[in-house]
Amino acid sequence: MKKVKIIICIAIPLLVLTLPLEAIPLDGITIIEQRVIAIFLLAALCWVLEPIPIYATSLVIIFLELLLLSNKGLIFLRSDDALFGTTIPYKDIMHTFASPIIILFLGGFFLAMAATKYRLDQNLARVLLSPFGTTPRYVLLGIMLITAVFSMFMSNTATTAMMLSILTPVLALFKGDEKGKIAFVMAIPVAANIGGIGTPIGTPPNAVAFKYLTGTDAISFGEWMMFAVPYVCVLLLIGWIVLLFIFPIKADRIKLDIKGSFLRNTKAYIVYGTFVLTIVLWLTDFLHGMNSYIVAMLPVAIFSLTGIINKNDLRNISWDVLWLVSGGIALGLALDNSGLASRIITSIPFESFSPVLIAFAASFIAALMANFMSHTATANLLLPLIAVVGSTVPSLKEIGGTQMVVLVTTFACSMGMALPISTPPNALAFGTGFFGTGDMAKPGVLIAVIGLLLSYLLVFILNVTGFFA
Amino acid sequence: MDNLYIICVDDQQEVLNALEQDLSLFDEKMNVEVCDSAGEALELMDEIDQQGDFVALIISDQVMPEMTGTTFLAAVRKDSRFHDTRKMLLTGQATHQDTIQAINTGGIVQYVEKPWQKDILLANVKTLLSHFVMTKGLDYQEFIDLLDQEVIYQWLRNRT
Repeated sequence: MKKVKIIICIAIPLLVLTLPLEAIPLDGITIIEQRVIAIFLLAALCWVLEPIPIYATSLVIIFLELLLLSNKGLIFLRSDDALFGTTIPYKDIMHTFASPIIILFLGGFFLAMAATKYRLDQNLARVLLSPFGTTPRYVLLGIMLITAVFSMFMSNTATTAMMLSILTPVLALFKGDEKGKIAFVMAIPVAANIGGIGTPIGTPPNAVAFKYLTGTDAISFGEWMMFAVPYVCVLLLIGWIVLLFIFPIKADRIKLDIKGSFLRNTKAYIVYGTFVLTIVLWLTDFLHGMNSYIVAMLPVAIFSLTGIINKNDLRNISWDVLWLVSGGIALGLALDNSGLASRIITSIPFESFSPVLIAFAASFIAALMANFMSHTATANLLLPLIAVVGSTVPSLKEIGGTQMVVLVTTFACSMGMALPISTPPNALAFGTGFFGTGDMAKPGVLIAVIGLLLSYLLVFILNVTGFFA
Repeated sequence: MDNLYIICVDDQQEVLNALEQDLSLFDEKMNVEVCDSAGEALELMDEIDQQGDFVALIISDQVMPEMTGTTFLAAVRKDSRFHDTRKMLLTGQATHQDTIQAINTGGIVQYVEKPWQKDILLANVKTLLSHFVMTKGLDYQEFIDLLDQEVIYQWLRNRT
């Protein structure tokens, strides 16, 4: 099976690579562009079929771009012929490893890691959960809110792992046939996925989106949260109702026992202070002029110099996630710089499509793909194309242009939560063994459909209020 | 998929049969191998290592004719190739001294008494395998139904 996948992933791009230029139905296509098509196909096939880890695909993309597209690639593969096209500077390709987006995420990683190390996450969970009492449905709401808030700043997987470790000992006490148990376990991946939408660093697809929201389309950290957090809150409430409806809770009392107390030592105070300061600076860029990428270096610098994050902790950073995003950025770069993206877009008569239909289709495809493959890989593949569609189709301008279509697509990337394979949080919840795949699909599909509809409403409101203009 | 091995060592064939039976659920995605002496186990481990596969867990008896369980586990502990391999002593006849030695020089973290209860044995095996998979950075999702969820949560919490 794996061998078949590998053969498919190699054969199809190779076939494209060996085709004569005339065989490709795009007028004026260059050899460089042909190679970009092959690399894009390779990326798409590898991310969908996953014969290799998804971050490995990213690294392969970057390597192949350096080899086949860069100005310092293999000498036999370069030419000055007009049909050849223009090479991409190798530095630009390598820069994707340290793109500001990556630094933004690194800052988020440092914050999350310090919070976990100094048990800020667990202590916050304890304090925030206490007002929700012991009535199961309110405890469920509390769990969802806390999971969502945490996943705005921590990875969805780490948040899920923390919440499940708090929850599973309690759920083990539930009676065997109690459906409410499923509500609690499902609430966590659902809330983690939804919560990730809340900030630009909440989940990697948001970071990828940030990459394509540049120039006049740029959105600041604070602006993102201004519309994304209300969206998250509304969708969480709906998710809560959906879960209670599908899995009614019979137990009349639930008591979560989270141990610990806030650490009171100098380093812990530095962690608390830096956490608050970073978020405040992220939200107030209009006052101090530092953009979110520069602010992201603050926790990196402070936690390193104080030894709060040491060499050993650095090894726990998910470089695979960062490099997965780098690969996506590199793919977008190649599509853009080679001129392929605009060539494809201009050869498809998007003008004749209704702009609303384009937005619907883009987000629907994103949500569908995200159910079967990595959210980040989905964003990596779709967003560069969507961004070009946004900027080249004039009729889209009236309903929000690039910003609108990138946002609905990005939000849709977080709507993949119907299957255990959709996201690591789903896999972890499924791993508890409390329910079957059907129990995950029902709320997963329903919440995703509502989430998509809600995202259309959101961009409609943003458009009417003039946010996109 | 990564190839993981669970090696059971005991000089009594009945015990090995029973272990194989009880551990059969792991056979789907991993390999459960039985050896009737420590020497045979060491040879097998060498072979597994040569193939580039992993010895995830050793379940060893204490009282065996050629080499005792604690001596065997102490030898494995010193071998850098099997540094992360988890070890379990499964015995009914270990003396107090054996137990001390097993912990101090064998580096065992699990001690299961014979006759064992299947569910306790399985729970212990799952815990040890989970630590191995996470320490080695293998893809835990592939094996998730054979692992201890609590252990996975603890590991994942500390990652970004």
